[in-house]
Amino acid sequence: MLTFIVRRLLLAVPVLLGVVFVVMLTVDLLPGDAVSLMLGEHSTPQAVAALRDYLGLDKPLATRYVQYVGRLLTGDLGRSIQQNRPVTAELAEAWPATLELTLAALVLATVFGVTAGVVSAVWPSSLFDAVARLGSLFGLSLPVFWTGLVLIVIFAWWLPWLPVGGTGSLAHLVLPAVALALPSTAMVARMTRSSVLEVLREDYVRTARAKGVRERWVVAKHALRNAAIPVLTLLGLQAGQLMGGAVLTETVFAWPGLGRLMVKAIFARDYVLLQGAVLVFSLAFVLINLLVDLSYGALDPRVSKQG
Amino acid sequence: MKMTRIVAGLAAVLLLGCLAGEAAAQKRGGTLTIVRPTDPVSLEPNLETTAPGAWVYFNMLEGLLTLDEKMQVKPSLATSYEVMSPTKVRFKLRPNVKFHDGTPFNAEAVRFTYDRALNGKPPARWASLAGSLAGAEVVDNLTVDIVTKEPYGPILRTLAMYCMGIVSPTAVGKLGADFSRAPVGTGPFKFVEWKTNTHVIIERHNDYWGDKALLDRVIFKVVPEEGARMLALQTGDADMVLFPSPAQLPALRKDPKFAVHETTGIRVVFAGLHAGLAPLDDVRVRQALLHAVDRKAILDNIMEGSAGPALGVLAPGVFGYKDMQLERLYPFDKAKAKALLAQAGWTPGPDGVMQKGGQRLSLSWLTARGRYPKDGEITEAIQAMFKDVGVEAKVQVLEWAAVFQQVRGNPLNHHMFTLGWVTSNADADYSLYALFHSKQTPPTGWNTSRYANPRIDTLVEQARRSLNQSEREKLYAEVQDILAKEMVWIPVYTTKEIIATRASVKGFQIHPVEYNLALWKTWLDK
Amino acid sequence: METPGRLAWRRFKRNRLAVVGLVLVAALLGSALLAPWVAPRDPAKQSLIEKRARPGAKFVLGADEFGRDILSRVIYGTRVALLVGTLSVVIALAIGVALGSVAGFTGGWTDTLIMRATEVLLAFPYLLLAIAVVSALGPGVLNTTIAVGIWGAPTVVRLVRGSVLALRESEYVGAARALGASGPGLVARHVLPNLLPTVIVYATLFMANAILVEAALSFLGLGVQPPTASWGLMVSTGRDLLLVAPHVATIPGVAIMVAVLGFNLLGDGLRDALDPRLRGDGR
Repeated sequence: MLTFIVRRLLLAVPVLLGVVFVVMLTVDLLPGDAVSLMLGEHSTPQAVAALRDYLGLDKPLATRYVQYVGRLLTGDLGRSIQQNRPVTAELAEAWPATLELTLAALVLATVFGVTAGVVSAVWPSSLFDAVARLGSLFGLSLPVFWTGLVLIVIFAWWLPWLPVGGTGSLAHLVLPAVALALPSTAMVARMTRSSVLEVLREDYVRTARAKGVRERWVVAKHALRNAAIPVLTLLGLQAGQLMGGAVLTETVFAWPGLGRLMVKAIFARDYVLLQGAVLVFSLAFVLINLLVDLSYGALDPRVSKQG
Repeated sequence: MKMTRIVAGLAAVLLLGCLAGEAAAQKRGGTLTIVRPTDPVSLEPNLETTAPGAWVYFNMLEGLLTLDEKMQVKPSLATSYEVMSPTKVRFKLRPNVKFHDGTPFNAEAVRFTYDRALNGKPPARWASLAGSLAGAEVVDNLTVDIVTKEPYGPILRTLAMYCMGIVSPTAVGKLGADFSRAPVGTGPFKFVEWKTNTHVIIERHNDYWGDKALLDRVIFKVVPEEGARMLALQTGDADMVLFPSPAQLPALRKDPKFAVHETTGIRVVFAGLHAGLAPLDDVRVRQALLHAVDRKAILDNIMEGSAGPALGVLAPGVFGYKDMQLERLYPFDKAKAKALLAQAGWTPGPDGVMQKGGQRLSLSWLTARGRYPKDGEITEAIQAMFKDVGVEAKVQVLEWAAVFQQVRGNPLNHHMFTLGWVTSNADADYSLYALFHSKQTPPTGWNTSRYANPRIDTLVEQARRSLNQSEREKLYAEVQDILAKEMVWIPVYTTKEIIATRASVKGFQIHPVEYNLALWKTWLDK
Repeated sequence: METPGRLAWRRFKRNRLAVVGLVLVAALLGSALLAPWVAPRDPAKQSLIEKRARPGAKFVLGADEFGRDILSRVIYGTRVALLVGTLSVVIALAIGVALGSVAGFTGGWTDTLIMRATEVLLAFPYLLLAIAVVSALGPGVLNTTIAVGIWGAPTVVRLVRGSVLALRESEYVGAARALGASGPGLVARHVLPNLLPTVIVYATLFMANAILVEAALSFLGLGVQPPTASWGLMVSTGRDLLLVAPHVATIPGVAIMVAVLGFNLLGDGLRDALDPRLRGDGR
């Protein structure tokens, strides 16, 4: 088990380093640079040169990359170009917000999605099933940013129950989490439904039923356990998507998370900050995938033997 | 006779009573919540000259001079000045002023501030704004000499800029790089906290040398969505909205629960024309384009009262401004536009687009979306207006970084670009020199139109060097007369500074300079 | 004896939702092709005085902030949506099938390299990718399409590689190999046809996503150039008018939803029809 984890983490390292390099390269190739943008109307060639020199941005790409990786090994993510603040500080302020939003959306998606899917599967062709399936299709098709806007109009304006944006309380979390969770809930519901149905038709389930074991027990123990695997894979993918989708939701709801930070960094060409944010995201991906794979082992004894 | 005296007496008493009532009604205390689109990059002028930071530090830092709402230079930390030579002005400083950290304000602090800004590593963002400013020399504890590298006409207005606040040398020494996140000055408010991307809080400085602020605290919150900001104002989550939504202003103006404060600003938003790139090198074509634009329709329907008409290349309120009479010289007249194009040799082609010698009149146009209010929208609107006179405009909407790069690059391969320009020190030199001097083409300066006229060069150079303000005004008037004939810009609108507040916010005075968000006379009637 | 195609079609027809999807997609296609005849007004014609007009007699679905007819712009917007959807799928498939087959077949270092590159691309912030493509190639629909295609490629690579790996071990291919077939010929004649159902299903579902991604990109400011109409751009610019004229942002959003729904239903229907083993609906 431990070797499995360690091996996976080690394999992730070249990927992360690769991502950092590609990000640095891409920002370099984009038109516009951080310093001229910062100085704006006051950017004379001398001022730009002086600032770039001061920030160490005038060195060639390879040098900067090596320096970055070197500092990375000591846990130093550098200083953001825009504010000259340690990137770790800026990330530390932003990632809890994204984590909060993503977790909330994930919880919503899992709870509602799985419940709806299971109920749909146990009573197929019922009214609930029809409504749920139709609802899922709609949920999948709605653009997140649009849902966010509509939710704001309905719940923060017509019926002023909830605040419009920003953070502060649980009330602030509701709308963005719901907007973000909607497509995922739909997908989880569909996936759960189809895999539970699949399992319910299996021979050994029929056998258990024939033996007289109670319906609920059958469903709970056997069906869910085996249906869980594809659902878990999906949840893992969704977690990644949710973090990515957070960018749009954060923009619409003024949610001060990593997504918004990344967008700002990109538009300001602040590659140091951007790399820090990308590393956090990528690391999160890796960890989530790892968790998903580990849970396979827990659920299906056949899998854990692989190591 | 007696009756009149009694009436007069009564009136006087009533008037006094009202005034007293007004004054008595001024309440101390309370927290003002302000919502704005973005977070500052820094709270000190050396690192931040744009509005998000300026709005905050304008209340915490003070300069030697200041610009009041009528665009007049007034004393602030300096009480009087004397011109010693064309390159030296002596200022007497206000006594008994303390920084927020208790240390005394003196000439050394002034010298320190300017030295740090102009000679520090890296130099301050506003260093290029300061023109020929060289630094400050201490004469005695309360007297300081401001020195310029060469005779510099705009010196007083430069010193009155929002970013020339004096900082506490002790605090800088103690906080180092963190000073930019917690500045210490002499202003009526002092810093409390800054939660990045969420809010900045400042509170009243009880030892302020002048009239103490009336509010206890001010919170600046970040809300990027315009709709969300307006909602916050409606629900009372916010007391004041900076950059309110133009579409909602008419309703707000009528509603007694809210107040809309507005005044003409000093930023001009325009469509710049590349005077060096055919066919725009022909002045007739440029003039035709001006006739093709229905500026009033844009002001009424896109800006919806949130901006004023552009009266020239400068905004009224800027020293040296002259009304270029654009409505009289270039009224919206499609026929005139087509006639001018015909004069220049352009005739309608088969698809409606003008052509000349096999070439279509097709212009490429760069703009960002959201960098200046409605920049994308006015570009799209003018694109349609051009189509009506047979000019095809190929618009490219890029993110600001890309537009910036191209416009400041050499060579510029686009005909037009949507930009805004603010005369930061409210002195014509700042604009006319950087925008129209032939040597100020990018990347050195901001002559984005690549316009070259030796007469203008001479005029702006002369005006920069002269310390005689009425002579400078005459020189700038001539510059603007020439530009009125050459028209290398299509000025679209002059910004209006508009701030929407709840009716409970009283005493607030809006300033033409958007950075000068003065909050010390404001109070809350709650 | 019914051909597999006919069989699939019969199954498809019986699935009502799938047929709805087909109808929706056909309607979209019709809108796109017949736009100049179906749209009541010129989508670029401005009438500033009539800005934000409510839906009514003159403007059936209302007018946007420039006084342009929303209905006409939604109809023309179909072109952008379908263009982006189709072309980006083609690009994603081209890259994905090529790289995926190579990875699956060759194995070894090439395989590892391709898979790691895929992971880097997946971890790469999508917005940066889009900006990079737009900056390198210039703004516009076509280049946004390329950005969306590149975004979708990694998933196809994985999908194809997985199938190739599975097929490689199958007896079917083993027999073909024994008969002397190898390399690209093997891929083309035996592997690809078996991938077809998966790919078709993926394509329709991807198109749904592509439309959403293009809308998101336009929403963030990268995408079509004025005065072209794109649904995402319409929602984005209508955002500021939400409280004053909600129809400007909401109607294009509904169009996006309908298009995405149509493709999703179609994709689901195809999947159910083409491979009964994948169906999990209890029928």
